[in-house]
Amino acid sequence: MIKTHDTFTRLIKLSPTLLVALLVIPVIGGLIGVLLPAFGYLPALGMKEFSLQGFNALIQTDGFSHMVFLSASSALISTLLALTMTILILACFFNSPWLKRIQRLLGPILVIPHAAAAIAISFLITPSGFISRLFSPWLTGWELPPDWLLPHDILGVSMILGLTLKELPFLLLMALAAFAQADLGAKLRAQHKVAMSFGYCPMTAFFKVVLPNLYTYIRLPVLAVLAYASASVEIPLILGPNAPPTLSVAIINWFNDIDLTLRIKASAGAIAQLMLTATLLITWWLLEIIVKRVFYFYVTNRKRDYAGNAIMHLTRIVTVMLVASILLSLLGLVLWSFAGFWRFPAFLPDQLVLIHWQNALTNIQPALLNSLYIGFAASAIAIILVLVTLEAEQQRAYALSHLSSFIIYLPLLVPSVAFLFGLVWLQEQISSHHAYINVIFSHLLFVLPYVFLSLASSYRCFDSRFSILAASLGKSPAKVFWQVKLPMLVTPICIAFALGLAISFSQYLPTLLNGAGQINTITTEAVVLASGASRRTSSVYALIQMLLPALAFVLAWLTPKLVYKYQNKA
Amino acid sequence: MYSSLDIKELTIWRNKTALLSLNESIQGGEILSIMGPSGSGKSTLLNWLTGMLPPTFTAHGNLYLNQQNITHTPCHLRHIGLLYQDPLLFPHLSVEGNIAFAMPKLSKKKDLENVSLALEKVGLGGLEKRSPASLSGGQQARVALLRVLLSKPKAILLDEPFSKLDSELRQEVRDIVFKQIRAHQLPAIMVTHDHSDAIAARGNIINLATLEKRYA
Amino acid sequence: MTLSDFPTLIRFLLFLASMAYSVLSHAQSWQKTVNEGVNNPVYFHAWGGDAQINSYIQWLGEQVKQQYNIDLVHIKLADTSEAVSRVLAEKSAGNHTQGKVDLIWINGANFAAMSKHGLLKADWATKLPNFYLTNPAKNPAVTHDFGLPTQGMESPWGQASLTFYYDSKTVIHPPKNLKQLLDWSTKNKGRFTYSKPPDFIGMSFLKYALINLTATEQRSLLYQPATEKSAAQLLPALWQYLDELHPTLWRKGTFFVQNSAALKRLVSDMELSLSLTFSAAEIPAAVERYDLPLATRSYAMHDGSLSNTHFVAIAYNASHSESAKLVANFMLSVKAQAQKQQPANWGDNTVLDLSLLSQDQVALFSQQALHPSSLATNNQSPALAEPHPSWSTLINQQWQLRYGSYKRGTVK
Repeated sequence: MIKTHDTFTRLIKLSPTLLVALLVIPVIGGLIGVLLPAFGYLPALGMKEFSLQGFNALIQTDGFSHMVFLSASSALISTLLALTMTILILACFFNSPWLKRIQRLLGPILVIPHAAAAIAISFLITPSGFISRLFSPWLTGWELPPDWLLPHDILGVSMILGLTLKELPFLLLMALAAFAQADLGAKLRAQHKVAMSFGYCPMTAFFKVVLPNLYTYIRLPVLAVLAYASASVEIPLILGPNAPPTLSVAIINWFNDIDLTLRIKASAGAIAQLMLTATLLITWWLLEIIVKRVFYFYVTNRKRDYAGNAIMHLTRIVTVMLVASILLSLLGLVLWSFAGFWRFPAFLPDQLVLIHWQNALTNIQPALLNSLYIGFAASAIAIILVLVTLEAEQQRAYALSHLSSFIIYLPLLVPSVAFLFGLVWLQEQISSHHAYINVIFSHLLFVLPYVFLSLASSYRCFDSRFSILAASLGKSPAKVFWQVKLPMLVTPICIAFALGLAISFSQYLPTLLNGAGQINTITTEAVVLASGASRRTSSVYALIQMLLPALAFVLAWLTPKLVYKYQNKA
Repeated sequence: MYSSLDIKELTIWRNKTALLSLNESIQGGEILSIMGPSGSGKSTLLNWLTGMLPPTFTAHGNLYLNQQNITHTPCHLRHIGLLYQDPLLFPHLSVEGNIAFAMPKLSKKKDLENVSLALEKVGLGGLEKRSPASLSGGQQARVALLRVLLSKPKAILLDEPFSKLDSELRQEVRDIVFKQIRAHQLPAIMVTHDHSDAIAARGNIINLATLEKRYA
Repeated sequence: MTLSDFPTLIRFLLFLASMAYSVLSHAQSWQKTVNEGVNNPVYFHAWGGDAQINSYIQWLGEQVKQQYNIDLVHIKLADTSEAVSRVLAEKSAGNHTQGKVDLIWINGANFAAMSKHGLLKADWATKLPNFYLTNPAKNPAVTHDFGLPTQGMESPWGQASLTFYYDSKTVIHPPKNLKQLLDWSTKNKGRFTYSKPPDFIGMSFLKYALINLTATEQRSLLYQPATEKSAAQLLPALWQYLDELHPTLWRKGTFFVQNSAALKRLVSDMELSLSLTFSAAEIPAAVERYDLPLATRSYAMHDGSLSNTHFVAIAYNASHSESAKLVANFMLSVKAQAQKQQPANWGDNTVLDLSLLSQDQVALFSQQALHPSSLATNNQSPALAEPHPSWSTLINQQWQLRYGSYKRGTVK
């Protein structure tokens, strides 16, 4: 393409650098802001000499090894489970119309904030929860809830369940997005057919032919899931054990402890968290290599069928249980939000009342507005940045470097507990006292990767002949961008915007920390209430938390239709 | 015993309108060509033959392979080989791996060793360890053919097998494919929109749009 | 010539003059506070886990908006320590004047930590015009927080005492003292627990237990800073009691909930049949909102209930400290205190000395008909004062060592 040198082109050229800088500086800066106190440098407490005191205190913490073990095991097991279930569901329903239906059922779960999902799951499995009421007293004989260990069990089973249920839809949708790529999907399906024509049963054909090629496309999402699970706060807080808790929760507790010298230990803990996540990612990478080696032998061993039918039936049963438990926990939330008195083991509340919704709706307005302001601002900025970056990529006709594409995912891979505290410190240093700007900026860090992920494939798949055609008609690159590309990409842009909103709505730590605790959003209120007394109020907030992103997606679905209607009229 | 593929009184409906009807018998070494514009039901017929008819269609009729009724046999147990316009080699396996993958479980060690020999026969000697992506289009097509043949199918379906090859290569690959099908005495059905393919196949030709049949 | 030589009249006149001067100068400085304080926002950092308290704070906001055009912004905390961290972070960043925390709801260990690190504004609370209504000369509870003198850093807001509540459908005879509690829990395994220290309620339960396990003649030790000797003397009784109690608790004492709200939820779920709170009024309110079973009943232990005062404080670097003083002063007004004491609004005991008020004003505090789940007003439980804060720190530390992580927990 012939180089043009108008302002638009020049501005566009800068955008990839800007995008990368926007992501790298806060993450690296935040890490430095944690690194200094980790080595004993905290002038506010009069500590100006470097020491290893924080790390010593950390290692001597009672149950420290157990915390690390909990974080590592729950992350690895939940990621493995979510990945295995994703693969099994894909393999089992690869050529079935049910795949689309499962996708439609699980899709909305992707945008349910972690806190809301954890609340829903805890209501399901708690001793007085829905499952227990379903079987009591006629089967169990329980007149009072049993003294179960769920949730908050010592081994973190409920936490693993929560993480798995939350990550499974993400991985599944990422895999389906790969299939949705025009050539890849058709090719993999055809190869699957070819393998079956060689006598491989559908399951085996999927594992030996489709999976090795598919995995490349879901690898980064898998790593993001692993990193997230190892450092997440909301789910272990609501479902995990607390004697001791996971490392990430312990770090938050130390940071918030009234004993201010604990901040040294907390910072050391944040560094330990960083190393833990890195170790897990490396472990996964090693596992990949080993599995690949072993797998190659199995791929070429010419065996056609490994009890494919039995595994298929099992997968169907597990899928039904999965969907059922998701529906049950949603039903539970809805019932709690309308429940009057509801003694165990009654299956339904004694009466249904509106008071919880009424109370919540009279109090919710400021938090709701905050969620919307911040979400719209962060998503709009993210969309603009991503669009110009992708445009730059097309104008210079080569893709982003591997390093740049990797950096886009940096905020998803680096544990947020590790750099957010430092980022707060950094924002203080440059005297950025405007809480809203600080929060929008910190949300942007998490919104950007998802918006990029969502927009990149459709932007890159954009048929370049349209822009060449337009250019041949004498349109400048700016005009091609505004008048050809954007209108044609309205649908993916709207979806990316809705995704950005959903991600922003769900942010807990960045809102809490970078907003100096001054900004309440629906999510911060929901987490505070999750620790509070009322299941009923808590359910209302969790449901509102789920409804918000759902509304965003309805808008994303409607807007293109309205735009086209308007265009056709004009 | 002669090998044969028999389509007995087949009718396929979509939403209660009949899409196509067929009653054919193909002997080993014979190639039946199916022609017709898109939408005439070519790929639907192929889907029925492979046992993967989408649920929006209904079919009546039977399919016999070597006198055995396989109408309700799942795809992977039919022993019907497939050859598409794309070679569809598995990118995560080498040339040799692709072929070994297709060979029956009980292949003898000697058969595996013969892969090299077979490759040489179709002019691909010495390419065993190469990855499919590094081969030319014509080479890939030949590996795909070899892969199908060595999977020991009892019949073979060709879905626009040569449409992506340029005209010179097309003739060369076509000759090899047809020669091998005849040499292995396999009944074959070829779907194509290219008349010269159909003529080169030297078998019966059915046009699904006009339902006109030309005998070889 | 000495003062006593003056005739009585002159002495009296002098006294009047000095009084008038001090009142006048006070009034002047207060007028200055009002002038500077109006028309600003006040960021009030306060625990936000209770809907009823939240709506009372909302009411406060409406009132100060009317009087002073102050926008009271309630920053709802999950734990007060978050605000402590916030102020510390600002101090470490050198932000000494533009702090985002104006007013904090605080007492006990959080206060001790903040005052130790110089994070609170001093010497203002006793100068609030409404402060004299607390009758500080006769009521040391408004100038002492867990035994520590507040030095004008905190303005009192309310008073609370440890109250037990139970589900009367499953419990007929609730335990009436510490010893009965152990027997009851042994008979009804898994139906009682307390929240994990350093949570307020959990610590309060431990202090209640410690006071009652300490012989009367030794109790004075608890009101002095803890020493190694006094700790070794008094604490073993507590650990012995807990070693016996823990295996009978909910989850066999392997898991402790985070706060009193979580305890309330477990009673609501009927997992617990007996629990405790520091805010007696929240029990009937929770029943009204269906959050506790209809059969819930409240009572005070016969061997005493721990009582303390809670306060509001101003961060040393608050952006709107004058406005915060206006809010704190309004919180001490008869109107605000009476509104707060009504069970329908919050039910928190007033810190005002009612004997200083007019009859009309006192009438504002009288209660309407008692809710069946409320604490009886005629309860005879003796009040137990808070031990010195050093005991809290010590109990918490040793508790964490003994029971804080599972492996060293009571389940062996």
